[in-house]
Amino acid sequence: MDTFQHLMAGLAAAMSLQNLTFALIGCILGTLIGVLPGLGPAAGTAILIPLTFQLDPTGALIMLSAIYYGAMYGGTITSVLINVPGEAASVVTCFDGHQMAKQGRGGTALGIAAIGSFIGGIVATIALIVVAPPLARFALSFGPPEFFALMLVGLCLVTGLAGRSLLAGLAMAVLGLLIAMVGIDPVRGAPRFTFGIPSLYDGVGFIPVVMGLFGVAEILLTVERPYREVIKTNLASLLPSREEWRRCVGAITRGTGIGFFLGLIPGVGAIIPTFVAYIVEKRISKTPERFGQGAIEGVAAPETANNAYANAAMIPLLTLGIPSSPTIAVLMGAFIVNGLTPGPFLFKERPDLVWAVIASFLLGNILLLILNLPLVGLWARLLRLPYQYVCVGTLLFCVIGAYSLQQNVFDIGVMIVCGIIGYGMRKIDLPIAPLVLGLILGPFLEKSLRTSLEMSAGDFSIFLTRPLCLGLLVISAVVLIASALNLAPPEVRKSDT
Amino acid sequence: MRRGWQVACVMLMGVFAAALVVSLEYSLFDSLGPGAGFFPFWLSLIGGVLTLAILVQTTRSPEPADADTKILPDRPAALQAGSVLVALTLAAALFEPLGFRLTMLLFIPSLLLVLGVRAPVAVLLCALAGSFGVFHVFFYWLKVPLPIGMLGI
Repeated sequence: MDTFQHLMAGLAAAMSLQNLTFALIGCILGTLIGVLPGLGPAAGTAILIPLTFQLDPTGALIMLSAIYYGAMYGGTITSVLINVPGEAASVVTCFDGHQMAKQGRGGTALGIAAIGSFIGGIVATIALIVVAPPLARFALSFGPPEFFALMLVGLCLVTGLAGRSLLAGLAMAVLGLLIAMVGIDPVRGAPRFTFGIPSLYDGVGFIPVVMGLFGVAEILLTVERPYREVIKTNLASLLPSREEWRRCVGAITRGTGIGFFLGLIPGVGAIIPTFVAYIVEKRISKTPERFGQGAIEGVAAPETANNAYANAAMIPLLTLGIPSSPTIAVLMGAFIVNGLTPGPFLFKERPDLVWAVIASFLLGNILLLILNLPLVGLWARLLRLPYQYVCVGTLLFCVIGAYSLQQNVFDIGVMIVCGIIGYGMRKIDLPIAPLVLGLILGPFLEKSLRTSLEMSAGDFSIFLTRPLCLGLLVISAVVLIASALNLAPPEVRKSDT
Repeated sequence: MRRGWQVACVMLMGVFAAALVVSLEYSLFDSLGPGAGFFPFWLSLIGGVLTLAILVQTTRSPEPADADTKILPDRPAALQAGSVLVALTLAAALFEPLGFRLTMLLFIPSLLLVLGVRAPVAVLLCALAGSFGVFHVFFYWLKVPLPIGMLGI
């Protein structure tokens, strides 16, 4: 079957009433997560994993993917209306989106964000359909040394761009990898770091850790944050004027390109494409002084780039098995929970599932547009929900999620401990993303390293004698050196969560 | 902020040192190649060196501009955050003996009261929805296994 036939089969599967319902529920829940104060996409996607436990893998992954890109859009609403980004990628939207809301143009800001997100998402998904199959076929030729080097590149990129200190990012990545070592050794089958505790034989659960680091920690931080006021703005007029449309066409086109190409690079994270798109618009504008004062291009470009990135970031996950951000790492965790390992073999072994999920991106973007334009007023009202109820609801879902995966109270304990650790890390600005990525990539990284060394009878030169592997290792080194020299813009390095 | 980083570094060094010692109990190499202790050993060593470097860097560098950033919460916020953790821990302890419904029937109102909600009807409705309602949805509709306690509830 060629790509077109696979896509048609995927569309047919995604358009079944059951999967369409899952996508719709996912979009609504995702937007809700983005809108509710104190819940980012990573935490939100993690706490909703239990909802999908009894679904078939295709339905579960369609729903979780919809939650992911729904949450990416939902963050925009808080950026515009309360000047608080719902997730890191929406930071840039605050600059002009909130100014527009203050000027009574909040509806237009949210409208152009929804339209830009839709266009960016659809174009990026079409590009994904074109790019992913050949990339997956190419990746099938990779051996364990290449996979090891590739995972190292992803980890270095995330580490290099996360937080204010490269050393801290590296230390967190190493800590994540070390936590992943707990449990049965994947090669020899011997228990490690289990201290005789049977609950640790299966390792430290990824879901309880993520729920703790993001969900519980976020709640603890929310408890001490001051209340933010929702500003009153005109939400009746969602569509931009003719002049605003003229300004946005170029911004949306450029935002799509920037978001897509940066989404292809593992580890770039969602915040960089939005900043780049914003900076490009400001640089090429004949009136750059309008930026920061309510320029509609300042909303259209980053929001388009954000959604184009969100869809394109699925390419490294689906074709190479490399998560680009903590939220994508949570999605990878959901694949693993469903007994699937993202990567080139998934395209070969489960094309029905992969193409149904890809096709659902197209449908999900349409659903998001249909949902978000008329429901903007409802989402805005939800922002007024007292945080106490959000806290209780989040903790309730965290407890269910942590427990129900293995029906083990020990996992709730892991979640609480990780919540305290995550709270402490956020307070002193230690990056969480490298830890999460280290945790999820740890078993794969170790297995590919040890298999490579078994292939070479313990000779490390195997990593230097294979051209592709060597190239990837050089890229890792360049990324770390560039990070050490602080070549990334400071605003990009500031936050990863 | 600096003190926070120093404390974090010391704790991390403790974790890496302990992991290093434990990893030596596993074989670093065996007849097939790298053993079970190979990866943890090198990770612990690298982690320890990195943390030591951060500690030295943090201690020797001048106080950053955001040195006065408040790390510790004020007393009311600390009490609320502490209460959330205590409530969560108690919920975890009672989860299997009492079952999901009774545990949540106690957990939700206590948490809402701790967080300052004083509307009895809202608290009651939340408690019922969050315990019996959520149990029904997850256990019966979504087939997610949740514990039934010794009282059969």
